[in-house]
Amino acid sequence: MEAQSQSNNPNPNPNPNPNPNPNPNPNPHRNNSVASSMPLWPTIDGPLGLSEEESVGYARRFYTFGFALLPLLWAVNCFYFWPVLRHSHSFPRIRPYVVGSAIGFAVCATLLSSWSLTFAIGGERLFGPVWDQLVMYNLADRLGLTGWS
Amino acid sequence: MESSVLEWLGVEIIGVMSPVSICMFLVVLLVYSLSSPSTTATTIATAANLVYAENPSDTAAQKLEGAVLNAVVFIVFIALATFLLVLLYYYNCTAFLLHYTRFSTFFVLAAMGGSILLSLLERFSVPLDAVTSFLLLFNFAVVGVLSVFAGGGLPILLRQCYTVCLGIIVAAWFTKLPEWTTWTVLVALALYDLVAVLAPGGPLKLLVELESSRNEELPALVYEARPTVNTRNHAAAVGFIVAGVSDSETSRIELQVVSRVNSNNNNNLSSNNDNGENGINDEWERSPLVGGMRFGEVVVDEGMSPLVEMSGVGENEEEGEGVRRKIGERGIKFGLGDFVFYSVLVGRAAMYDLMTVYACYLAIISGLGCTLILLSMCRKALPALPISIALGVLFYFLTRLLMEPFIVGTATNLMMF
Repeated sequence: MEAQSQSNNPNPNPNPNPNPNPNPNPNPHRNNSVASSMPLWPTIDGPLGLSEEESVGYARRFYTFGFALLPLLWAVNCFYFWPVLRHSHSFPRIRPYVVGSAIGFAVCATLLSSWSLTFAIGGERLFGPVWDQLVMYNLADRLGLTGWS
Repeated sequence: MESSVLEWLGVEIIGVMSPVSICMFLVVLLVYSLSSPSTTATTIATAANLVYAENPSDTAAQKLEGAVLNAVVFIVFIALATFLLVLLYYYNCTAFLLHYTRFSTFFVLAAMGGSILLSLLERFSVPLDAVTSFLLLFNFAVVGVLSVFAGGGLPILLRQCYTVCLGIIVAAWFTKLPEWTTWTVLVALALYDLVAVLAPGGPLKLLVELESSRNEELPALVYEARPTVNTRNHAAAVGFIVAGVSDSETSRIELQVVSRVNSNNNNNLSSNNDNGENGINDEWERSPLVGGMRFGEVVVDEGMSPLVEMSGVGENEEEGEGVRRKIGERGIKFGLGDFVFYSVLVGRAAMYDLMTVYACYLAIISGLGCTLILLSMCRKALPALPISIALGVLFYFLTRLLMEPFIVGTATNLMMF
């Protein structure tokens, strides 16, 4: 046990070093332009996040789930795998799902924003009496959902 | 070395106090924006006021007696639910606990959050249509459940934000309790937390010991302040973890009890309301029961550290995995119950005056600092509620009864300001 503990002592010191194996020193990492354009981790959480193997499955799964009326999940997918989206030549297996999520979220956000703004700005002039029935606070009053306030 | 230790400690303290402050601040904003001058308080029947519904016309003795009874019944419910949780975890019903916690999270975000959203829309007359409201709420709830329980497939920042949102929603609902009941429930909860975590045989202590012995994570709603720094040079400086345990089983028992109460209400109101409205009212009246009672406690996970270090010794892959696990394990975790009840205290203070809000906020942050100091010294499980709640309640009443008359008097006589 003592021998093991003695062998354990030097291990914590080099522990952070094996993670950035391609870059043993932080200074060359800053100077090396090739290394800076290739991120080491596919997620914004860095070493706390997923590895590349896990990321492929998660990215595909969330991209697929986004089609179930969940554009926010696409946005979260883009946010989490931002290094993949930002650097165009990194992680070729993950990138199609992240780009697909970005396109899907952009389309859904555009459509929903257009509809909401049209409804809000157009108002009763554009929609007639149906507007009063569709607007949420009148609908909430009618359904009796305002018990909280 | 000293400066680096101070720097690291400051980062840790900020990591703990920032979400607590954000949660309290947003609850105060909600209380201020949604409390209308004409307080037609439709008291919602919850587990916290089953016995006695407070009325402004009651005498102080009646209010105190009823509030104490409410608090006692509430604590009994929570204790029973926590022991039920211990039993379920002991008999390896972790999958059931996980699914039930997910359901609770979805219900809090969708139903309780939706109700708050509707109140905000009505208050500010935002002309949002029904389709957009439904889509936003659905996305918010589903992404919330996934982020809290997806096991690492979503960003840490998102998980932290959703945990704070859960605390805000539940705390906002709890501010609807009557005044005397709120104070007695808070004090009773602080005492219960003290007993449940520190006493031998306490349910939360049993849970923590079970979790440590099994090395299996209990499905719980906790806030993890894990920094996203790649290299942590001081990861081994202080190895303490603040873990929270959620007892979602409370909702189960309370739902049964409330359904009985609601049946009585339905009998009384059947001539006045439609059946659909009764159903909707029942659903909303049950809402605050879900996810309202979660406790925070301080746990020093010493059993984990040597195991991780032992696994770190070996091949490169194992070593890397060990390092990742160690980094993941480090950091302070807070139970969601702390967020909720700190915010309930500050929200209740916001209903009186801003001066009491400042006093309670400073008291709670000071109590949190004291708890962290005790944690670093004791290095074992510690409850996070008692010191902060005690200081908060003390400062609230001191400010309300002593400081405010003094300041108002001096201001009126132009001796100050």
